[in-house]
Amino acid sequence: MAMIRNYLKIAWRNLRRNKVYSLINILGLSLGLSCAMLILLYVKDEVSFDMFHENVNNIYRVTQEKTINGKLHKNGNSGYLQGPRFKQNVAGIESFVRIQGGAEDIKKDGAIYSQKVLRVDSTFFSIFSFPLLEGNPKTCLKNPNSIIVSEDFAEKQFGRLNVYGETVMIRQDSIFTPFKVTAIAKNSPQNSSIQFDVLLPFKVSVEDANNDLNWYSYFLNTFVVLNPYSDKTDIEEQMQAFYEKDASGAFKSMIERYGGGQDATMGSYLLQPYSTLHLDTERPAQNGLSNAGNPMYSYILSGIALFVLIIACINFINLTIARSIKRAKEIGIRKVVGGDRKQLIIQFLGESFLLCFMAFAMAIIVVLLVLPVFNELSNKALSFSYLLDFRLILAYLGLFLFTALSAGFYPALVLSKYNPVEILYSRFNIGGKNYLQRFLVVLQFSLASFLIIATFTIYRQFNYLTNADLGYDDSNIISISKGYISKDKAKLFKNELLTDVNIVSVAPNNVGHLWTMAKLANEEEINFSYAVIDESYFPELKIPIVKGRNFSPDHPMDASKNIMVNQAFVEKANWENPIGQTVNFFYNQNEIYQVIGVIKDYHFLSLNQKIEPQLFTMISNISFDNFDIKIKPNSATQSLKHIEESFKKIFPLSPYSYVFKDDVNKEAYQAEAKWRKILLFGALLTIFISCIGLFGLTVLSSEKRTKEIGIRKVLGASVSDVMNILSLDFLKLVAIALAIAIPIAWMASNTWLENYPYRIDIGWKMFVITATLVVIIALITVAFQAIKTALANPINSLRNE
Amino acid sequence: MIKITDLEKYYRTEEVQTIALNKLSFEVKEGEFVAVMGPSGCGKSTLLNILGLLDDPDNGSFIFNGIEVSGFNERKRANLRKHNIGFVFQSFNLIDELTVFENVELPLIYTGVKPSERKKRVHEVLEKMQIMHRRKHFPQQLSGGQQQRVAVARAVVNNPKLILADEPTGNLDSSNGNEVMDLLTALNEQGTTIVMVTHSEHDAKFSHRIIRMLDGEKVTENVLV
Ligand SMILES: Nc1ncnc2c1ncn2[C@@H]1O[C@H](COP(=O)(O)OP(=O)(O)OP(=O)(O)O)[C@@H](O)[C@H]1O
Ligand SMILES: [Mg+2]
Repeated sequence: MAMIRNYLKIAWRNLRRNKVYSLINILGLSLGLSCAMLILLYVKDEVSFDMFHENVNNIYRVTQEKTINGKLHKNGNSGYLQGPRFKQNVAGIESFVRIQGGAEDIKKDGAIYSQKVLRVDSTFFSIFSFPLLEGNPKTCLKNPNSIIVSEDFAEKQFGRLNVYGETVMIRQDSIFTPFKVTAIAKNSPQNSSIQFDVLLPFKVSVEDANNDLNWYSYFLNTFVVLNPYSDKTDIEEQMQAFYEKDASGAFKSMIERYGGGQDATMGSYLLQPYSTLHLDTERPAQNGLSNAGNPMYSYILSGIALFVLIIACINFINLTIARSIKRAKEIGIRKVVGGDRKQLIIQFLGESFLLCFMAFAMAIIVVLLVLPVFNELSNKALSFSYLLDFRLILAYLGLFLFTALSAGFYPALVLSKYNPVEILYSRFNIGGKNYLQRFLVVLQFSLASFLIIATFTIYRQFNYLTNADLGYDDSNIISISKGYISKDKAKLFKNELLTDVNIVSVAPNNVGHLWTMAKLANEEEINFSYAVIDESYFPELKIPIVKGRNFSPDHPMDASKNIMVNQAFVEKANWENPIGQTVNFFYNQNEIYQVIGVIKDYHFLSLNQKIEPQLFTMISNISFDNFDIKIKPNSATQSLKHIEESFKKIFPLSPYSYVFKDDVNKEAYQAEAKWRKILLFGALLTIFISCIGLFGLTVLSSEKRTKEIGIRKVLGASVSDVMNILSLDFLKLVAIALAIAIPIAWMASNTWLENYPYRIDIGWKMFVITATLVVIIALITVAFQAIKTALANPINSLRNE
Repeated sequence: MIKITDLEKYYRTEEVQTIALNKLSFEVKEGEFVAVMGPSGCGKSTLLNILGLLDDPDNGSFIFNGIEVSGFNERKRANLRKHNIGFVFQSFNLIDELTVFENVELPLIYTGVKPSERKKRVHEVLEKMQIMHRRKHFPQQLSGGQQQRVAVARAVVNNPKLILADEPTGNLDSSNGNEVMDLLTALNEQGTTIVMVTHSEHDAKFSHRIIRMLDGEKVTENVLV
């Protein structure tokens, strides 16, 4: 006990006496630790996603895999039939729930607004564990006119929480119908793939429920609960066998209608554990599920955390050892008066624990302070209470022990080994080669340089994605979406809009038809997306026509038998002369369409995807669902007023909302923009911690060499000579670090960029900039102390000895 | 109390091998006060470190209190040392981060003495060394003579049987030096065995016997009375 008090006393006095050293150690370590803590929190949240459901280990999503043209397509969605039919015919499936996303028009005090809703089967609350404030989880979804609302929705709609039994007016077809609130649910936890404000009972017509063709529509998510004693593979086999039998007729008629090629297969049904859904990038959470995650971010973050922590630990080790030279005397004396090695090891480990503990306490404060910013950046809602999780606390304790031990053990071993005779008779050679210290400095700066280059790469790539030219002009375009607008209504609306001088042009469209198949003249099949547009579309978006002509009202055939395609389509079809080529599409009913024009490729999908073949038609039997309205610059206020009036006039019962197209595009890369910030921050932090470490080393090394430098100066060394002595050594190490880090970073960057079809070139400039940056920063760090030492009066340092 | 026979110690560096002690033999009886003298580099400090169990001889025998201790491992040596031997150095060697009181208390902590007992004993010895009023100061705040008195206090606080002093007056002026010599003599009179290395014939006169060395070997022994 007394011994420990004595150690603590010494440790504390040492801390106070060596302020620079202590500050650097504690600051660096606490930054490293808070980084690691935040990221632990983030990763824990990611891997614990959806894990709060009591039954989570038995809940699976019904998914499908299919090989088309040699390429494996994975599909996480399903339709009306999969749930009920599998449950009825496969032993081991105990229940199912379908979740379909959508929006409903809700009336509140005479105003109509659009509300996102989920339609779910009545088993919803017995399968998932979403707590209810009020209402019966078993029966609340039984009545088709019931509505379950969240706390947030209740507050918004009624201004209070006790709304059980109240009615909400929801439009069904064209009539507003009362729905009765049968339950109030707590707001969905943030780490849930299912987020809802409003739940409505699932709706399916008798015809749809009995139509076998519905095996082949995928627009919702089906979850099943397996008997805990059943075998997943066995159930998948049963499902597959049943599907092949039950859907064989439907499959045949599908092939007849849509084609499908010789090697068309029925595909196979599989079960995906619910717990793995959040981080699945191949079958992302959609159609009613939200918060799709990406494990890449967890990896990047964990990488940063690890780097920062390692660097902080290296600082700790290096500084402790470097400073130990000043403490050699104390160690020698302790040995002379009877301390043995074990006691000394305990003492130095104890000091390391004390420092770590202080760093740890500071780290917790830092985490609490930056948590809101971190949430904002990482799109999470992590809170303090979240920190108090049992396993997380264990993880933090582990982190603490790991840091304290790894940072303290080596110095403790080294220090306790000093020979007291050598120390006390000043025969102790404190210069030494310090290979370990050099190695650690190299390692530290290699990690930092790697991180800088990686950050540069990711930053530039994300920047590119955020600012890339999409191939069309999205400025001054207001988009209005409204489902199922017939061609006639569209014309009416368009003409109404164009009565205002501020409206430049109006382009109704429906571009949401992805992945269709058609036959070319030579019987070859081709996959593509198609869009229904009118003649204003390309001019309005400034998409150039590279061959042939645009659609025109002057050509009656344009509205029926003529089509346009993009360059990717021409390439895929292998046409030398695209104009006049024919395509046989739409349900294989032998309707032949003729190509009249080719447009330049533009990014109609995300920049993360390659531009695929695209086909444009004006045929009248497909409705529009969106209007892109080009307005004069700086006329938004007047234009929006006119647009709203026109909308209310033509579609009086529909909710009105609008977005600016360039905002939407920007938002699409919001995640990237945020991650850009996080990474930049991480890299700056790493460099900062590395530099304070280097600074500390220079301080200690110049302290250690004050006598030598004093003597050199007395003998005539100039300031720059002394600077060289002090800084050259470190700069050499930084140069070695760069030589190691650059090739590795180059390879890693390349590998990462392969994920993106549209990407930046790495180029040599980035490496030059990084190298210069690192050297300059290191030079400034080292030079600061070196100059101070070099300018000091040698008499002072010599007299001290 | 001490009996060394044919003690040898070499120092090997990359190029040369130095013989620091060459077949050195002598004996020190309990209660004796012995001075070791000789030119610089003849091996006096080396000898003292071996006697103090800080260092291991390369050859020869060293019997301490009837036990052969050459070849003891570090833990055993540390254990023997902390109960039996006190050190005084030319350069004081106090821990700068600890106060006078704490410096003197340190050996008692390592031998596991209870706090109340520790306080009593530290106060006693500080009183005896006339440094009590400075007990809360740090070493840098003391004069050389005061620091050496603290070092002597630390060396004797555990009531060791043997005190080894390596040029204890080397850094002190003559009056401070004499004070320290008086302290050592007083301790010797109370029964503590003392081996002291010195360059000063004046200081050597305080001892009972002078061992003179040259190049690691004993040359003469003068017994003073
Ligand atoms: N660690 C060491 N490495 C190499 N040689 C050493 C070492 N320690 C001592 N020596 C050599 O051993 C010899 C004896 O040294 P020692 O310190 O015992 O002499 P000393 O008699 O105490 O001298 P002084 O009166 O100057 O203190 C010297 O020649 C010295 O150079
Ligand atoms: Mg000596």
